[in-house]
Amino acid sequence: MNKRLYTITRDLHLYFGLFIAPFVLVFCVSVFFLVHAWSPGANEPPGPKRVVSDVALPEDLENLGGRARVDALQIVLAEIGLRGEIGYVGHNVNKRTLRFPVVVPGRETSVEIDLAARTAAISQRDTGLGDALVALHKSPGPHLVDIRMNWLPMGVWRWLADGTVYLLLFISISGVYLWAVLRAERRIGLALIGAGAVSFFGIIYAVIH
Amino acid sequence: MRSFTESPAAAVPARRMADSLSAWNRRIHYYLGLYLLLFLWLFSFTGLLLNHPRWTFAEFWANRQQTSFELPIQAPPPGGDLVQARDIMRQAGVHGEIDWTRSRTDPSRLDFRASRPGHIFEIKTDLQQGRSTVQRIDLNAWGVARILHTFTGVRMTDSRNQRDWMMTTLWALSMDALALGLILMVLGSLYMWWSQKQKRRLGMVALLSGLLSCGLFVIGLRLLV
Repeated sequence: MNKRLYTITRDLHLYFGLFIAPFVLVFCVSVFFLVHAWSPGANEPPGPKRVVSDVALPEDLENLGGRARVDALQIVLAEIGLRGEIGYVGHNVNKRTLRFPVVVPGRETSVEIDLAARTAAISQRDTGLGDALVALHKSPGPHLVDIRMNWLPMGVWRWLADGTVYLLLFISISGVYLWAVLRAERRIGLALIGAGAVSFFGIIYAVIH
Repeated sequence: MRSFTESPAAAVPARRMADSLSAWNRRIHYYLGLYLLLFLWLFSFTGLLLNHPRWTFAEFWANRQQTSFELPIQAPPPGGDLVQARDIMRQAGVHGEIDWTRSRTDPSRLDFRASRPGHIFEIKTDLQQGRSTVQRIDLNAWGVARILHTFTGVRMTDSRNQRDWMMTTLWALSMDALALGLILMVLGSLYMWWSQKQKRRLGMVALLSGLLSCGLFVIGLRLLV
């Protein structure tokens, strides 16, 4: 029974680990950008602005808010040949414009819709691989809860990001089990867990107090 | 099959070296894993909390405790905003990372935020009157945990705020160490897997599934959309 449990755990540890390895690398590499505020792609100049005219706007778009407005804007985006995750929508009531970013990991498009003239001014900027990693690391994140994940691929990413965490937790717990079975390595392993715990609680205590 | 140029005597040390490398790679994999275990659990769990702000059990902002007090302040020494802010914090007995929330337009005032995970201090100082008003916000353990995930002292879109507290630097280094440790564990695990010939095929399926699904988001979407 124990042997069987060990074999199954070891195999699941290996295969789940291999599956999430690329995701773990995405989260780890992007940490360096986030922790040191290296802003990849921030200086990339935007491409030339293009204006699409005669845009068919959903009725009552001006009066919509929150998720309903973003869902309506996704229809507008499809019409003007754009796809991506819509961010914060700024509504200028006096100018009758809606301004919002459309993000695909590694690319940001700024869209301004003139509700009166029924035009859309579009400016695109390629922000590169580093920015793609950062965008994925921060998605979905705690902000704009009502409107985020309004583009299907980013909704899928949310599941994958959560799945990565759950599998990582499984892998870490199964890893502890696999180590505990190795009697020859118990002493040094316990010492390392102890050293890790002292570092962890020591640093957190110093940061909080 | 061994080549004609490779003598059996030369192959033995090479085999021994490969075995030793393999054994050390395995050891480093679980030594790193055991040392970083608590850090990994913290960042995994708080990552879930950040992605699920509607989980009510982890509510912290609604349960915050606020207090405010005033205190007399001696004029800080001449110098930059950071020097003066640090002097005011010393007088108020506050420690933390300084966060410039607004640009300074009135030289007789110095307003800033000092924070550390679980505690936020909004400090507003009238230098002419020699008085500071401190609004203190204390968060519960969920708030502490969540802020630890993002406590770096810097923001990508804000060049004015730089890391200015030693403890923030220490925590940022811990984040770097965890990320680096996990990268080494991933690379080491690839070597361990490849050494097990009977598991190569199924392992390749798992790895390629991960690479394709992850690569779709990292590179693919930009090319396809």
